[in-house]
Amino acid sequence: MSTTAEPSIDQASDSLKESVLEAHGAVVRFSGKTVLNGIDARVSPGEIVGIVGPNGSGKTTLLRAMASLVRLDSGSITLNDSPIDRLSATERARHVGYMPQLNPDHSFTALEFVLMGRYPHIGRFKLEGRSDIQFAESAMNRTETLEFAHRRLRSLSGGEKQRVSLARLLAQNADVLLLDEPTASLDLQHQLLTMATARAEADRGVAVAVVLHDLSLASRHCDRLMLLNEGEVVAEGDPWTVVTQANLKSIFSVDAAVEPEPISGRPMVSVLGVTGDSETQSRDRSLRVHMICGAGSGRDLMHRLSIEGHTLSACVLGQGDADRDTALRLGIDHISSPPFSVVTLEQDAAHRRLVRQADVVIVCEMAVGPGNLRNLEAAAEASRLLLIERPEDSQWDYTDGYAGKVYEELSVTGTTVARSEIVAAVADAT
Amino acid sequence: MLRTTVRKQRGSLAASSVINRLFVGSAVIGTTLLAVSLTALATGPVAIPPADVLSVALEWLGIGDSSASDTQRAVIENIRIPRTLLAIAVGAGLGVAGVTMQGLFRNPLADPGIIGVSAGGALGAVIAIAAGLAATSTLFLPLFAFIGASLATVTVFTVGIAAGGRVSMASLLLAGVAVSSLFGAITSAIIILTSDLEAQREMVFWLAGGLEDARWNSVRIVLPIVLAGTVVLIAFARDLNLLLVGEDEARSLGVRVGFVRGLLMSVAALVTGTAVAFSGTIAFVGLVVPHSIRLLIGPDHRALVPLSALGGGLFLLVADTLARNVASPIEIRVGIITALAGAPFFLFLLIKQRRQTELL
Repeated sequence: MSTTAEPSIDQASDSLKESVLEAHGAVVRFSGKTVLNGIDARVSPGEIVGIVGPNGSGKTTLLRAMASLVRLDSGSITLNDSPIDRLSATERARHVGYMPQLNPDHSFTALEFVLMGRYPHIGRFKLEGRSDIQFAESAMNRTETLEFAHRRLRSLSGGEKQRVSLARLLAQNADVLLLDEPTASLDLQHQLLTMATARAEADRGVAVAVVLHDLSLASRHCDRLMLLNEGEVVAEGDPWTVVTQANLKSIFSVDAAVEPEPISGRPMVSVLGVTGDSETQSRDRSLRVHMICGAGSGRDLMHRLSIEGHTLSACVLGQGDADRDTALRLGIDHISSPPFSVVTLEQDAAHRRLVRQADVVIVCEMAVGPGNLRNLEAAAEASRLLLIERPEDSQWDYTDGYAGKVYEELSVTGTTVARSEIVAAVADAT
Repeated sequence: MLRTTVRKQRGSLAASSVINRLFVGSAVIGTTLLAVSLTALATGPVAIPPADVLSVALEWLGIGDSSASDTQRAVIENIRIPRTLLAIAVGAGLGVAGVTMQGLFRNPLADPGIIGVSAGGALGAVIAIAAGLAATSTLFLPLFAFIGASLATVTVFTVGIAAGGRVSMASLLLAGVAVSSLFGAITSAIIILTSDLEAQREMVFWLAGGLEDARWNSVRIVLPIVLAGTVVLIAFARDLNLLLVGEDEARSLGVRVGFVRGLLMSVAALVTGTAVAFSGTIAFVGLVVPHSIRLLIGPDHRALVPLSALGGGLFLLVADTLARNVASPIEIRVGIITALAGAPFFLFLLIKQRRQTELL
């Protein structure tokens, strides 16, 4: 049933066969409840597919179905277009590896456990050979677990166990890797190590599918995401098309801002609150709110107020300004200017039109210099003005006190509000 | 302790470690077993000098001629050799059955005697005798014992199993108590209701195990079955390793979990049933031996299963030799000796378990 030994040594070191694992119309029911409702999924060589979704959406079940650990009520799993159940259990184990969510807990040593990953490659009456040991050692090296090779699994911490479990998976040398929450017990350093290991595997042609609950982590490390809800795929594609404010609201029931992660440029989720929490939610009074901001001072409010359902506009914003990027992303009407330029009279006129159209105008805590002084001055035309409270001793006026005087005048007609109260203050303005 | 060597030797250490443990373990237990065997052959109501025992044994194996008398020769060949072999075979069978059940149930207290498998085997054997089948063919006894043992195994497993294939300590022991009591009660009832006195005497034998009826006939059935069973269990030792680690890992590493579990349970039941059919219920062998060996060499079943066979043989042979000789000429039943050694060990395991020290 098992391979003869001769090819296994060389084969073992570099025998990756590129494989495509697919689920076709996978349906799984557990005691009458439909957990997977006809899912099509595919993981191809060289890519990392992230499976995301809220609790109970079927992520783990989908992964287990693809690992042939769950019986399908209908549909099929194929490996390279042929049904996977045509393979013997051992053959399947040479192609498809699975790392369970639950950390291993037993009295085998870490090395003994990692070597179990080699079982599908060794004949029933054979013991691990030199190449198997090398596989295990290299896997443990990559997961930084070699130092406790001879400690019993049970004596290791959760994170250490999880890394040993990954080493076990790597030693299996399968061409499709299925990982269920492989970073759940890990600190930041080892989260990165684990995802980098998955990337290295993908780079050598392994197909990787990984269930993750952290959307930002998934966005950052996966090439493609599948968003599951109630056993169905509700969104699929690159991270920016899957991790959207709308999906977060409809699927995860949270109000969240999705901003590019500064380093990778991948979507990063900042959860602002649970949908339905806010007092204003029930009212359908949506206002026109104008934001006078800059340098990121209005970003957070743009997200919050747009979630509240208000129609936003913004002042003159230079290219490259963080607030302008957010305005663009959220489709907020604003006046664009070259970077660090002085607001022109023409731009000012356009800006004042936006101010006059607005029901409420908010002045954020941005610094004011000659370049954006006109943005501040235009606030005088507001019909209802909210000024966000500035910290007492903050240094923000770079106009030799002129902006400060403008601000003082504005605070006579406007209301000064703490930043945390601003959403409520806008709601009250109706 | 081996940490420093792993880098230097580039793993050759790990490759040989299973072999090493198996080799060293087999050598130590095997040598002891030989020495104890000679002692067992030499001691008894008729004392025979070890030199004569050796020469008879060698002659029996086809080496040299013995100067022993015909009586001595008859005692050794017809009584003591079969008894020694039966003790070794039964002990080995109970040892491998115990280690297998502990791995399958993922529970350190699984022992054929404790969880009712032996009681099932005894009931089967008693039914075979009461129905008069045992007299028609020697194979009926082990067959019925096997059926009874299987029934008990399946019952305990079905009742005790929890999610993930782990059988909880409490449910296993409770199911074992229930099954043992039920099967024991039925066995007693059958014995009491049997009018045939000879059959009755024969059946009482199963209430406390003993090897005093050991004859070549029994050896010829028990030894091959235990040997074959042990070979199968060794062949599936690594599957047992994976099942102990977890069902998901086992499945994803190519173990056909349902098939392997069924097969190993059947083999364990067959071996236990056969042993019980010829020795009665001897408890604790399957508990004491695997745990002692596990403490010494770790949980790898590829070494643990064969060494539990050897260790079980040694343990029961020592127990039986003591049983025959401590109160000579009165013979204590071997089940009493194993219980005297095993029950405190069992309590020790319970205490250890309570201190959260996992045993498997």
